[in-house]
Parts: sequence; C-alpha cells; structure tokens
Amino acid sequence: MRIKKYLYAVLTSFLLAGCSLQEEPYGFTSTENFYKSEADATAAIIYAYSILPEIEYYSRNFILITELPSENITLKPDAGASNFEFDELRVRADNPDLTTAWRYAYIGINRANAVIANVPGISNMGEAYRDQVVGEAYFLRALHYFNLVRLFGEAPLRTTPVTSIEQINSPKSSMQDIYKLIVEDLVKASDLMDMTRREGRADKVAAWSLLAKVYATLASAKSTASPGYDFVTGADEMYAQAKTYADKVVHQQGVYRLDPNLKAIFDIDKENGPEHIFSVSTDRTGPQEGNFSKLPLMFIPYIDGAVFTLEDGTPVRSAWNHLLTEPALYNSFAPEDKRKTELIVSKVYVDGEERVLGINDYSRPFTRKYLDPHQVGEQTGVNTPVLRFSDVLLLFAEASGPTTEGYEAINQIRERAGLQPLEEGLSPEAFRDAVIQERSWELAFEGNRLFDLRRTHKMEEVLEQKYGKAIQGDPYFFPVPQREVDANPNL
Amino acid sequence: MPLELWAQAVPVSGTVTDGTNGTPLIGVSVFVKGGTQGVVTDAEGHYTITAPSESSVIGFRYIGYITQEVPVQGKRTLDVVLKADAKALEEVVVVGYGTTTKSDLTGSVASLKGGELNKAPASSVDQLLQGKIAGVQVVAPSGEPGAGATVRIRGISSINGSNSPLVVVDGFPWGDAGNLKQINPEDIESIEVLKDASAAAIYGSRGANGVILVTTKKGREGKPRITLSTLNTVSTLANKMDVWSDPVDVAIIDNEARANAGLDPLYVGQDYLGTYYPSVAELRGEDPEKPVWPYKTYWPDLVYRNPISQSYTLTATGGSEKTKYSISGNYYREEGLAIKNDYARYNGRLNLEQKLLENVTAGVNLILTHTARTGGGLSAGRSPVFPVYNEDGTYFKISPLDFGHPLAQANEVLNENRGIDVLGTLFVNWDITDWLSFRTQVSDKYGNSINDGYQPREVTYTGYQFEGFGSIDNWSGNEFLNENYFTINRNIGTIHHLNFVLGYTTQTSHSRGSRLEGRGFVNDILENQNMNAAQEQVTTNWLSRSVLNSYISRASYSLLDRYLVTFTARADGSSKFGASNKWAFFPSGALGWKIQEEDFMRALTAVSEAKLRVSYGLTGNQGLSPYQTLDRLGSGRYYTDGDFQIGFGPGIFDWDGYNKIWGGVPNESLKWETTSQLNAGLDLGFLNQRFTVTADYYYKRTDDLLRQSYITPSSGYDRIWVNDGVIENKGFELGLNAAILTGEVEWSLGGNVTLNRNKLVDMGENDFVWNGSNIEMLRSPINAFIVGEPVNVFYGYKSDGIVQTREEGLAAGLTGDMANPGEIKYVDLDGNGVIDENDRTVIGDPNPDFLYSINTTARYKGFDLSAQLYGVQGNDVFNFNKFSPSGQLQRWTPDNPTNEYPRVNATRAYYGSDWFVTDGNFLRVQNVTLGYNFKSNFIKGVDDLRIYFSGNNLYTFTKFNPGYDPEVPANGQQWGSYPRPRAFSLGLNIGF
Repeated sequence: MRIKKYLYAVLTSFLLAGCSLQEEPYGFTSTENFYKSEADATAAIIYAYSILPEIEYYSRNFILITELPSENITLKPDAGASNFEFDELRVRADNPDLTTAWRYAYIGINRANAVIANVPGISNMGEAYRDQVVGEAYFLRALHYFNLVRLFGEAPLRTTPVTSIEQINSPKSSMQDIYKLIVEDLVKASDLMDMTRREGRADKVAAWSLLAKVYATLASAKSTASPGYDFVTGADEMYAQAKTYADKVVHQQGVYRLDPNLKAIFDIDKENGPEHIFSVSTDRTGPQEGNFSKLPLMFIPYIDGAVFTLEDGTPVRSAWNHLLTEPALYNSFAPEDKRKTELIVSKVYVDGEERVLGINDYSRPFTRKYLDPHQVGEQTGVNTPVLRFSDVLLLFAEASGPTTEGYEAINQIRERAGLQPLEEGLSPEAFRDAVIQERSWELAFEGNRLFDLRRTHKMEEVLEQKYGKAIQGDPYFFPVPQREVDANPNL
Repeated sequence: MPLELWAQAVPVSGTVTDGTNGTPLIGVSVFVKGGTQGVVTDAEGHYTITAPSESSVIGFRYIGYITQEVPVQGKRTLDVVLKADAKALEEVVVVGYGTTTKSDLTGSVASLKGGELNKAPASSVDQLLQGKIAGVQVVAPSGEPGAGATVRIRGISSINGSNSPLVVVDGFPWGDAGNLKQINPEDIESIEVLKDASAAAIYGSRGANGVILVTTKKGREGKPRITLSTLNTVSTLANKMDVWSDPVDVAIIDNEARANAGLDPLYVGQDYLGTYYPSVAELRGEDPEKPVWPYKTYWPDLVYRNPISQSYTLTATGGSEKTKYSISGNYYREEGLAIKNDYARYNGRLNLEQKLLENVTAGVNLILTHTARTGGGLSAGRSPVFPVYNEDGTYFKISPLDFGHPLAQANEVLNENRGIDVLGTLFVNWDITDWLSFRTQVSDKYGNSINDGYQPREVTYTGYQFEGFGSIDNWSGNEFLNENYFTINRNIGTIHHLNFVLGYTTQTSHSRGSRLEGRGFVNDILENQNMNAAQEQVTTNWLSRSVLNSYISRASYSLLDRYLVTFTARADGSSKFGASNKWAFFPSGALGWKIQEEDFMRALTAVSEAKLRVSYGLTGNQGLSPYQTLDRLGSGRYYTDGDFQIGFGPGIFDWDGYNKIWGGVPNESLKWETTSQLNAGLDLGFLNQRFTVTADYYYKRTDDLLRQSYITPSSGYDRIWVNDGVIENKGFELGLNAAILTGEVEWSLGGNVTLNRNKLVDMGENDFVWNGSNIEMLRSPINAFIVGEPVNVFYGYKSDGIVQTREEGLAAGLTGDMANPGEIKYVDLDGNGVIDENDRTVIGDPNPDFLYSINTTARYKGFDLSAQLYGVQGNDVFNFNKFSPSGQLQRWTPDNPTNEYPRVNATRAYYGSDWFVTDGNFLRVQNVTLGYNFKSNFIKGVDDLRIYFSGNNLYTFTKFNPGYDPEVPANGQQWGSYPRPRAFSLGLNIGF
C-alpha cells in the first residue's frame, strides 16, 4: 500500500509544519531584554528625563496650569475652554489640561520607578555612575510627587513600576505619606548623586534645592495654617530644615551662583549659566515638539504675522499670542525694576517702525524669559527652568526670617533688579510676606506663583481681595481628575 | 522482427457537433488515448488526426460536455455528437478551499461573473462592485485615481478592528478589501462574496466581515485564443463647482463678515500685508479714480481638466489535455480630474497547469503588478479677486504665509508613489482515488512601495517652516502561505453524497517600513534626491511579523439531492493573540432544503427552484496589531551634554489626533472578536429560472469587541487593549432577476436591496466614546460611539433656525456674540437657561436606511444596451460645506431675515450642530452601456468583435448641494472630496 505510506508521510509532515505562535519582541525592546549594561542604565534615566520636556509637561502644560490661575497671565479671547477654567479659577475634575498634568506626573513616576527597580541590579557598571543614575531617578520621582501633592493634595503613591494588568489600580495616600516619600527620596538622591554639572540633568545641588523648597513649603503652610498641612509637626523645625538645605546651596558649593546680569540668565546662548540648577532641556534641532519647545510661541504676540525686532535688535517671529500678561502683575513692579524693564518686552519694531505694546491691548507686553532668536521655523531650544539659584536664595531668606543673613539674601536679589534694599526691622511675618512678593517678581512666568500663594494661605487674600478674581471650588487643591475617579475603584 | 508489430498509422477526420442543436463545436480537443497526439476542431467543427493504429481510441473533450471515446476500428471518418454535461452546465460557485454548484449552496454566497462588472475606468476592482451584490456596500467617496473604496458586508461589527471584508485572490488571503489595485478587472473570471457564518467560517478569525473571493481566468483546453480589450475614456467634472466666481461677491461678503466680527474691512482699496485689496466699487468698475479691476480668476478652469484614460489588455488562453494556460498583460493609465494627477498600472498574469501523471497536476499562478501615482487633489476654492501669477511669472501670494496656491502645489510639490506587487503560487493536485484528492500549495506575496515627497520653501507651510522638506517612505511586506488539504467527493449508494475538506495551513507575514526625512535644503533643485544634503535628517522605521497556523474542515452532505447539510470549522492559532488565548475555534452549520425536488412540488412546474437555507455559526476578527500582548518599552530622546541622547523605558505612545496616548502594559488574555451570525434565506425560481428571487435575513452579534480601554491614569499608562463590548447588526437582503423578454428581443431587469440596522449594545465601562479626534472648526469631534445607538452617529447641538433679534438670542440661552441676530440659534435642550455641553444629543445618523440598485439589459440582434442605477436612502451627511459660496449669497442680513443660513462672520466659533446635517439620499445613474457584437469572421480571422460605448456617473438625483457629491465616507462627513468624474468610454474587444 504505497499510497497509504505517502499519505502518512504527507499528513505527518504538515502537522508538524508551521512556525511557533510564541511572540518574541521584534523591532522593540522589552523589560526582559533590557537593563543589562551601563548604556542601558543611561538610556533608562534618559527616558525618565524625556517626559519632562513633553508638551504636556514643562514645555507647555505645566506652565499654563500654574501661571493661568495666578495674576501673572490671562488668555487670548478665543483660547480653549479648558484653559479658561484655569484662568478663571473654576477648574473642573474633567478638565483635560488638569488630567494631563496628573497623567504626565505619573508617567514620569513610572519611568523613574523603572530605573529605581532595575538599574541597581546591573552589576557590570561602575558603582559611582550607577549611584548617580539611581539618585537622579529618586530626584525625578520626588519632583513628580512634589508637583502632584502641590496640585492635588492626596494621591496614589507608587514606588514600583507597573508591569502587569493587576497593578493598575492603587489607593490614595495621605499628603503626609507623600511628603515623607519626597523627603526620603531627595535625601537618598543627594547622597547618591555627585556635584558634576550635566545639562538638563540633576545633581546633588538640585536635590538640596528641591529639599529646601519642600521644607519651605511645609514650614510656610504650617505657619499660615494653609489647608491640608495640619500633619506638619512644627513650622520652625521645617524652616530650620529648609534653611539647612538652602544654606548648602547658597554657601556650600561653587558650581552655581547668582548671575549679576539679569538678561544673561535668559540668553538662549547661555543656557548653562550659573543660575540654572535644574532646567528641563530642549533643543531646536529636535525632531518633534517635546525635543524642541514651543513654549515661547505661547507668550510671543502676533504682530501682523511679521518678524519684528526688540530694542536690542533681537529678531522675534510673530507667534500665537496665546498667553497675555495681566495688568495685575505688570503694574505691581516698581517702574525701575529691571525685571520689568529688561525682562518684559513692552516695545517692538516692525519694519523699523516702533510699536508700543499696551498692557490692555490685544498684543501685550510679553516675557523675555522664553525667547530663542535662533528658532528654526517654530522650533525653539528654550529650556524650562525648574530650580534657579535666585529661587533657592529667596527660600534661604524666607527660611532665615528677618535676620542679617535673611536680609542679605533678599537684598542680593533686589539689588540685582535695581531696587533699594528691603525695609529694615520687619516682623518675621512681614518679612516672609515680602519674600513671597519678591518671588512673584523674580520668578514670574516660571510656574511658582500659584504654589507660593497656596502654601502661604494667600489665595483668597491676593487673588480675590486684591485682584478681584472669583475662585470657584477649592482654592488650594485641584480636584483629582474625573478619569482617575471613574477608573480607579481603589481610590 | 515481425512485421505485425509495426502498426500502420491511419488518418482519421470528421466533424464534432453539439447534441442539442447540431451546431459545429469549435476548439474541441481531439486526442489519441494513451498517446501524445492532439488537435482541436476548426471553425466548422472539423478535425483531422493521425491514429497510430486501427486499435487506437480517439477521445473528444470539450468544456461543459461529456467526454466521448470512440475506437477507430477501420473507420476513416468519425463524426461525433457531444452531449452537454448537465452537472457541468450548472453554475459553479467558488467557496473557500473548493467549489460547489449554485444549487447545492447552503450558505449565503453571492456570485458575479467578471463580465458583469461595469466597463469603467477603475484603479481598483472594489469600486466596480458598487450596487452589484445585495448586502455589499461599496463607498467610493473620492474620484481620485487610485483612491480605492470602502467595502462593508452586512454592516459595521468592530469599532477598533477592521470592518473590511477579507479578499482572497485565487485562494490567497490578500488582505482587507478596499484597494485591490493589483488585479486587472479584465482578468477576473468570477467574484464570490461569502456573507453568512456558514460560508465565511472557513476563514475563521478573518471571516467576521465577510469574504470576497476573486478567481482569475484559467487556461482552457482548445486552440489558442487571443483577445484584445481596450477602453478609452474621457471624463469631465460632473457638476459645476460651488466656488466663488465673481470678485465683487467675494469683496462684499468678506467686508461684511469682518464688519460682523468687529474687524476693519479689507476690500476698501488698501494695502494689507503686502497685497492690494480693491474696493467693491473698484471691482465693479464704478470707481472713476481706478481702472477696471483686471482679474477674475475662475480656479476650476485652471485646476481641473478633461482627463483621458486608457486600458489595454491582451490575453492568450488555451491548452491541451495536459497543459493549460492563460496569460495576460494590461496597461492602464488614468488621468485625474486635477492637473498633474496621474495613475498608471502595468499588470501581468500567468496561470499555467500541467498534468505530470494521469492523476497528478502541477501548476503555477503568477500576478505581477507595478503601479505609479503622481500628484493628488487640489483646491479650486481660491479667491477670484487675485491673479494666478505675478508680473514676473512667479505664483501670486495673497499674504506672505499664503500656501494655498493650487497651481504652485500641482507644479512644484513632489508627491509620487510607486508600488510593486508579486503573488506567486505553486501547486500540486493529486487525485489519489476517484473520490479522494490532495492539494498542496505554496504561495508568496511580496509587495513594495516607495513614496517620494518634496515640499519647496515657497509652496507649502511645511516647506517654508523647514526651508525645504524632503521625504522618502519605504514599505515592503512579504507573506508566505502553505496550504494542504484533502478533498473527498463521493456518492455513497445512490442517495447520499458527501463532500469533505480537511486541511492545514500556515501563513507567516513580515512587513517593514521606513521613513527618511530631510529638513532644510540649500535650494529646491534636487528635491529629495540627495537627502544627505539636508541640514537635518530624521529616520524612522518599524518592523512586524506574525504567524497564523490553521486547521480547516468542511463537510457537506446531501441526501436525495434534496436535503443539504454543511458543517464548517476553522481553528486559528495566531501569534497576535495573548499567551493564554492562542487558539480560536470557529464552527458553523447550515441546512438547505430543495423543496422543488419534493414530490408534492413536482406538480408545480412553474416553480423551478425553491430552496430554504438556514445557517448559524461563528466567525472572528483579529482586529489587533502584533505585540499588543507583550510588555513593550518605548523610546524617546532628551537633550543633554550638547546632544540628544536616546532613552528606553516603560510607556509607548500612539497619536490620538493631537494627543499622545501612552500604552505598553501587556494584556496576556487578549484575543479575537467573535461574531455569531444567524442567516435564513430563500431562493425562488420560476418558469425555468426566468424569474428568480433571493432573499436573506440575518442577525449578527459581535462580542469581545477589541477596545482600547482607558485605565486608571495613575498607573502611568492611558489605555490598554481589552476585549469587551457588543455590536449588533441585523438586516435583510433581496435580489431579483427577471428575463422579461426572451425572444429575438431580449430584455432582463434585475435589482437588489440591502438593509442593515446597526446598534452598539455595550462598551464595557463606557457609554460614550468619541470616534475620531477634534475637528478644529467645531473644537470637538462629531462622530460618536454611543451605547444603544448605531455606530458613528453625529453628536452635538440642536439648532432652531437663526437668531432674529438679540432678545430672542438671549432668551434662547445664548450669550455674547452668539446671541446676536444672524447667528445660529442653538437649542437649550436641558432648559437650564444656558447653552452648554449638556445640551448636546444625537443629531444625525450617517448609516443609510437602505441601499438599492437596479440594472437592466436589452439585446436585439448584435446590439445590447444596459444600464445600472445605484441609490442610497435615509442617511445623514454632516456637510462642512453647508455655508458654501452659494449658501453665503443667501446669508442672513437684516434685510433678508432667513432661517436657513446665518449671517457671514469672520470669527464665528461654530458648534457641531444639526444645522450642518443634511439628507444624504441619492440615486445615481451609474452606468449606461451600448454595445454591438459583430458576427464571427466579420473581419477574416476575427472570431469575436465587440464595440461599445459606456457612460459612467451620468446623473445623480439628489437634494444635496449639486456642487458636492453626496457619496461620503462611512462617518458621514462631507469636506468637499476629490470630485467624481463623469466618464465616457469607448471599448473594443477583439478575439482571434
């Protein structure tokens, strides 16, 4: 029966044929084949950083949602409704920009957690560099949580990367627990990291600076009874801690210092100037937004679609006129304050013709902090500052109170701005109010004002009583986004 | 050596005629049994053959007739009468992995012969299926050459996976229907559409959307037959475009629109951003200070042309008992209505089979296609106020950032695509016994496409932004398929018949793509030819592969040729499925009852066919990309130490319109979507099939919808693929055919109706999901998936005419500028006194109530005249062009307090509202063909000669704005697509 033999052969051959259905990673990497070498460790921390300059984080959204509610900026009339909710202090839980802020902080946390979970296990690399990488991840995790806790208050606390469907939902943690983790992470970060400056990356000084800011937040919130901070044990203790870490930055390192020239701080060609302790870096040669930044285009006005020039000849291309400087901030500066005269553009030239930008006009005075004269098309290389030396110096003043060193610190800032020294003999409370006011001028448009008002319990006093805005809902914490509430049964 | 062994060769000749009417049969294969000689009969049915000996047996074989064998036995003349083979004459229908006869079908299968396709220029075969088959919806919203079509069988059953039927070409699963550009319509023998679960289950996890089987022409025994088919077409715009033609109108409307928005008017005789805007008086020639305005540019005349298209196909078919072949070559060239928009196709095909042994046949099928496309659609809606060129011959720009010049785009932008597709199949068919056969085949399909693009700095915004922008997109895909199956075809006793198919197939797919971008060039001369000279290069690439292993089986049993039972099943193992769900099983069953074979029906001689069919079964939709079940790391870059560094980590993004959506958490239980379908059908025929009716009812329910579920954002991810959700489709299909006159004048009339009702039953945690990203004009998407509604309904505001007074506007809950007279009056549905997002509701449904088609053919002597009408009824269109120039001329003004159109307003923020929603009903005169068939040998040596004239898209009955086409994509959005040409073709078929 030859036929039967053939048949049998044919049958068995095709039953065995066919490729395996097991899928192997192809064209991408997977956790199982990654985290094997020093280069992998670098790539892992780079990925953790790369969330920061995304449109949805420091290159647009974070600045928008922290500046709009304050008296610093408002919006062009036809901006989107979700932006207006921030500007008009009536943010709803389903606001997409709010949801974005929440999402991106957690995406960043997950990436940092992946580094913290996997890089320590890479044995074939130098210990010092491994410590540095892991330290940076602790720093980034702390930064994201600090942003979250200041925006939202209580939030889920995640310390391991999410790699399976079972890990998706997690309960809320108290603000106390979140701050505890932030401080622990930053202390670890400052221990693990070195003091070598790397563009766009954190070092030991960045960890100290952020610690100072965290302690100052706790201290001021406690001392002013700002809502949510009852758990803080003692304001003075926290001020002391803030002072300790700010002091390390101000007096115990030689890498960063105050830049005597205000305009130089925001000169695109001096992005690694002495003031920039930690900035989110971008470059105009990047392939997509998030690698380059369009943040400046949000601030730059549209003037006939033309390329106009500033008084010093700097060319600026007409942009989106999206964020408009508010009279409240603009008029609060002393007329001679260089932070107004040098860092806010009130006069431009179109075809050699002078145009004055009025504070109530459609095209208003705009900040010089975000400007890239070498921009390619709409691509700019502007970095978003997160921690500047002057920020920490003012934190030092605030923590020190009306002491000699406190006055010395704030007066360095005032002197650079062309202002008289601060009035002597202020009470601790008045002195600290003055520091907060100084911070508003010094750090305007840099995403600090909302948090300063919140931590000093001044939201109603400044925004409602002083500037006549109406706050709807909780002034001190944005609602947890609806998407989280709907999807997370463990909340 | 004994002389007797030297057989004496004997010449034999004779004539072969048809047993029914005595006419000579041409091309009958005449052969010596067991020998090598073979001849075919000539035009008179005559043959001469030399038999080796008196004891030889001569065979006569002809397709559709019973083969005869006659011993020579001393005769010198053998005249043979061949009897028609009743079984063979019955229409053979291709089903997956085999064939059956039409009368034995138990599933819902529609069949179409290649010759029934309309004669129209078509870059893809799919377009020609429109209106041809009940239950098949073909939407071709664009008239652009090579644009393809959307094909749906029995509605939409997936919200994230494909809704296109699977196309199978000569047994090879080609992919989604919609752009089958690689097949020349002239090469098609038949098209079968498998609609119900019984028919489609043999394609298992790819069968849920139905299956379209395309069979190309095979070789036939007989003398070589050469045919040449040509089709030459000239086309025109079907309707006058709704664009501005009078500069005065433009100026008046623009000034008014700006004034209504509180802006200064432009057309007052002033320079603005480097362009002079004449005043209305100046445009009218009424300004004594100014000369008559010299420009009145009518852009449609510049942008569109009367394009010419050609198609030439040369085919050779023939063969002997042992070898059969069909070879064809095609050249097709279609010019688009838009200038510089062309499409060309070169296509070659070979089907060859050879009998290796008495019971073993081997063969090869090859399809080679090369396509080339240049250019694309252009806008004709530019302002007539301004000239085409500056005085120096450069393109006129209305403002420094004006990148809308259509001639500049047509002439200066590089946009070319070239593609090569090759499908090769080798097969061996072994008839093991007279009832058992085995077939094995190996196929490989290779496709490659290259897209060249360059945008010069002066012509497009991208070009300006990057100072020249070049791109090269490469794609190649390879699919390897091995199929092996046994077929049993056996009568058991006299009353049982069994057909059984069992087999195993394995398919491996690889694809890869890359994109090279060059940004910033010294000048535009080289376009994208030297990307290395760009200031900046950006490269991206991707890779993918997947495996599908399957077992197939089908058993068809018939009792007394009266009761029919079919069981079909396929088991699919796919690498794309999650680790815990690798194998899917799709069974189905069907029953058929040929009532006319029953004794009680024999008396009713008028009823020639009465068959009841019922089927139920499961089919699937793979609907997901490879690797969705694995933990995937994303990559990104960050600028540090003077350079971008590359990072890897958790989270991988997709674009969702504008936004990045992060995924990458594995779902190991991910699997296919499952569609269960019940079908009940009735086939009726009267008066020996002169009148036929086919009616089918179906109910389809799709479970485990593949959905991207939004998950808890604090996980660090946005969404994950899950299986949940349910969609329901039910419907009714009716096909009618009548041979009304059958004498010297033949006249037949046919038609079909397709009715489908779709409902989204469940979407897991969501009741509402937008489909599509934000539409900038509305600041919202417009189509939505809403539980309880059909898919893709429009969701937005209701409107109630136009606000006539500000008081009325404020009373309606409108605020600010929106409450002003002349604005659209939105309805405060929830009655809370303000118009807000809670006032939105379902405002329209783009799914038609039914589709219908009517076709008719009349013949007299050599003449034939046929026509096809195609209609769509009961669908809504979201008409973004509602406020077109003709609408703006009817605008609201204080003097014209209409409720139809709002005032013009340069800065109006529109809501997505039912003001835009328009009835999409239309009835189109799709095709009219008049042909003449010359008598055989009218020209000596020419067997067949046919000449015909064909008109396509001749007229559309509709209430829709005639300047646009009511045939829109499935989402119902009308944006002003590439116009559909009205085509007039002259065709010629010559057979030698």
